[in-house]
Amino acid sequence: MGDGSGAIYYRGAELPLLPPETAAGEIGMVFQNPEAQIVMETVWQELAFSMENLGLSPSVMRGRLAEMAGLFGLEPLLYKPVHELSGGQKQLVNLASVLLLHPRLLLLDEPTSQLDPVAAREFIYLLRRLNEELSMTVIISEHRLEEALPLADRVLVMENGRMAADGSPREIVRAAGSRLGEGHYAYLPAASRLFLALSASPAAAPTDTIPLTVREGKRWLESAVEEAQSASPVSAERSIPSAGPLEKNAAGPARIDLTRLGGSGKGNTLEGARLWENGGVGSSFSRSGSGAFAGEAQSSGTGETLLECREVTFRYEKDGPEILKKLDFSLYRGELTAILGGNGAGKSTLLQLMAGLLKPQRGRVALPKGVTAGYLAQNPLLYFSHDTVSEELRHMAKYAGLSDSEGKREIASLADAFGLEGVLGSHPHDISGGEQQKTALAMVLLLRPDILLLDEPTKGLDPAAKEHLAELLTALAVAGKSVTFVTHDVEFAARYASRCAMLFDGSMAAEGTPEAFFGANYFYTTAVNRMVRDRLPQALTVEDVMADWQRFVSRS
Amino acid sequence: MSGFRSMHPSVAVVYYAGLLLFTLLLFHPVFLLTEIAALLGLMLLQGQGRRIAGSLAFCLIVAVPAALLNPLFSHRGAVILFYFMDQPITLEAVLYGLMMMVVLISVFVIFLSYNYTVTPDKFMYLFASTAPKSALITLMTLRFVPLFQRRLRRIALIQGARGVSVREGSLRSRMSDGMTLLKTLLTWSLEEALQTADSMKARGYGIRRRTSYAVYRLDRRDIRVLAGLGAGALGTLWGWFQGYGMLMLYPRLKPPVFTWQEAAMYAAFCLFAALPLWVEGKEKWLWRSSARKSLPSAIQGKKGLHWTGYRSQ
Repeated sequence: MGDGSGAIYYRGAELPLLPPETAAGEIGMVFQNPEAQIVMETVWQELAFSMENLGLSPSVMRGRLAEMAGLFGLEPLLYKPVHELSGGQKQLVNLASVLLLHPRLLLLDEPTSQLDPVAAREFIYLLRRLNEELSMTVIISEHRLEEALPLADRVLVMENGRMAADGSPREIVRAAGSRLGEGHYAYLPAASRLFLALSASPAAAPTDTIPLTVREGKRWLESAVEEAQSASPVSAERSIPSAGPLEKNAAGPARIDLTRLGGSGKGNTLEGARLWENGGVGSSFSRSGSGAFAGEAQSSGTGETLLECREVTFRYEKDGPEILKKLDFSLYRGELTAILGGNGAGKSTLLQLMAGLLKPQRGRVALPKGVTAGYLAQNPLLYFSHDTVSEELRHMAKYAGLSDSEGKREIASLADAFGLEGVLGSHPHDISGGEQQKTALAMVLLLRPDILLLDEPTKGLDPAAKEHLAELLTALAVAGKSVTFVTHDVEFAARYASRCAMLFDGSMAAEGTPEAFFGANYFYTTAVNRMVRDRLPQALTVEDVMADWQRFVSRS
Repeated sequence: MSGFRSMHPSVAVVYYAGLLLFTLLLFHPVFLLTEIAALLGLMLLQGQGRRIAGSLAFCLIVAVPAALLNPLFSHRGAVILFYFMDQPITLEAVLYGLMMMVVLISVFVIFLSYNYTVTPDKFMYLFASTAPKSALITLMTLRFVPLFQRRLRRIALIQGARGVSVREGSLRSRMSDGMTLLKTLLTWSLEEALQTADSMKARGYGIRRRTSYAVYRLDRRDIRVLAGLGAGALGTLWGWFQGYGMLMLYPRLKPPVFTWQEAAMYAAFCLFAALPLWVEGKEKWLWRSSARKSLPSAIQGKKGLHWTGYRSQ
């Protein structure tokens, strides 16, 4: 498959010439999809699989397995069927199975992209331990760097098949501020992004002052505030142009604020004020035309209720636990709602109930007459049954009852909006994960649902794809649909949602605008908020902080 | 896992293989009914009553017609009971039909209990050392059955929303929809299989002869039970060679006579059939009261626990 030239050396030997035993034993690899890597039925079989392949004797295997199960805390899971494990546990099993061969080099291909943040953090810290305690070389490819970047010794940035940068994490942050450009901002940890956005001259700052973690970020912020205050009027002015690098990005918060207002109409005075400040920039959001957009925002200002869950109670089996308990929840027109919650809290179940795929045992999911709901599952592959993307869309249009010409028009406009023109002729399995998701979303939208329900839409997407998805969802909400997504991605919810809700113990534990919702949380909030909450409890994103930087400096 | 399930897989395989063999060899209602009773007792002790109840209907649907149809088609035998649509219904044929029903039921119960006790990994474990690759491939294949079922359920849920469903529509559209679902399942699964293959290769599959990680150890209890099973089986087989344990129905019913040899054979068979029941029952007995203060133990010589009655040494 594919062509290649050049050579890769492992400990002085060319890779293809390496004996297969050495290659399998000394170089371990963990892949992206936790499920697809698993070969066996139960955990102990899966763990033993690699050792059996290398023909180790039973006593050696027993010893190694005992050790590894202890290190990973896998003893309680040993006899469980693999499919009963959570994604994080599966990935742990995959890692442990590889480590049982005692590799010297560990390669990981986006190992946490399919995991929720808690499991991802645990996984990354486990890698850190392996690196520190066994001095194992770990190479990890990743685009979610909040946790991974501060732990790395060396960071390589790849771009279009070339090495764009190579250095320590702090050097990379500085390079992103000057040489690499804004496209790389989204990959950096929040503390570094805040630093780049607020620092007067990021390129001139000494390397070891560049913050990577929340703790370092907070410390840097305090010193920056002090500095700004001591150099009073002059520096206060200077700090405005210093916010320069992200000025262009400020369209981001503006459009969110607008949709917030267009949503349930719960916008508080702070939002109103910010809307004013950024009003001019807001018009740069032109995908759906700002004129139409403004009109829509006014007309749907009251927030017509599109769906109402009334005391919904649900369980999967007769004797099973109640997943949802007397849950009350409503969706409104023009809103972008985020539902957050831990693993197994019932988020996906709630979405499927609202989509009408499941029926509650008690309570009711009420939709006004003529209102329909569309559901996008986590795995877009479930939607594909034809040979090309355009065929998928055509069949869906036919099912939606559109005439040929109407369908064609609709498909063309969706393909245009989603950037799918290039892949219409490809097999749905051959396109990237982001494109697969957009294709599935386009298929759901062909049914013209008023309510769109998405299950973990940001899972496995890189920041650029996330941004694109957010634009699409915002445009849909602006066009008068009610968009609801379930997510683990706190940063995404904080940035783009107009309302956040927390599902816990079978019902909604908290609900509100992102500011109110995350501002009230202590840990379950964005990294930026954790850094600045002492001074700006409502600021959730770098842009929020920038908008309030002046007051932030003057307040203390 | 406790009781019979916690024993070495070879014990369970010997037990079920032996039962199956005796079901086919011995054509005698007393033996077969004893066997069914022992297995049902075992399953009830294992808390599988619901499973039995759940599969009872299916079992009867298969077995009862055998009993009803045999006398209609077979007219051998000397004792004619009555005529049904000008066909003679003989006592022998009725009894033979009933016996067939009992055989079917006992085979069914054997597999029901086998499925619960011998999980695929246990079975494969026994063959892993002789045929490691085939064992692995069989295990992987067996895993795919429930995996595909789970995937198909998810696909059906999603595709239902675009009108692809096997539950409604004409037979033709149902069939084509079914094919669509299968196609989705296959493309998805093949896609995943590519990654599985990568992961297998990265973990050194196929570079050496596989060894097998042993989780089961043949302990003393296993050996004792195996010995007991062996003795029971030998006794039963001896009786079979002597011609006991066979009910003569055709050409004419012979009145059954119980000799002491046959009684000895029956005792041996009971030992064989009921040994797991005893193993399971003993453990249940140990735990029978939750109000007990001391931890139960089956080891002889501990004060106050003589009533556990463990005297095999």
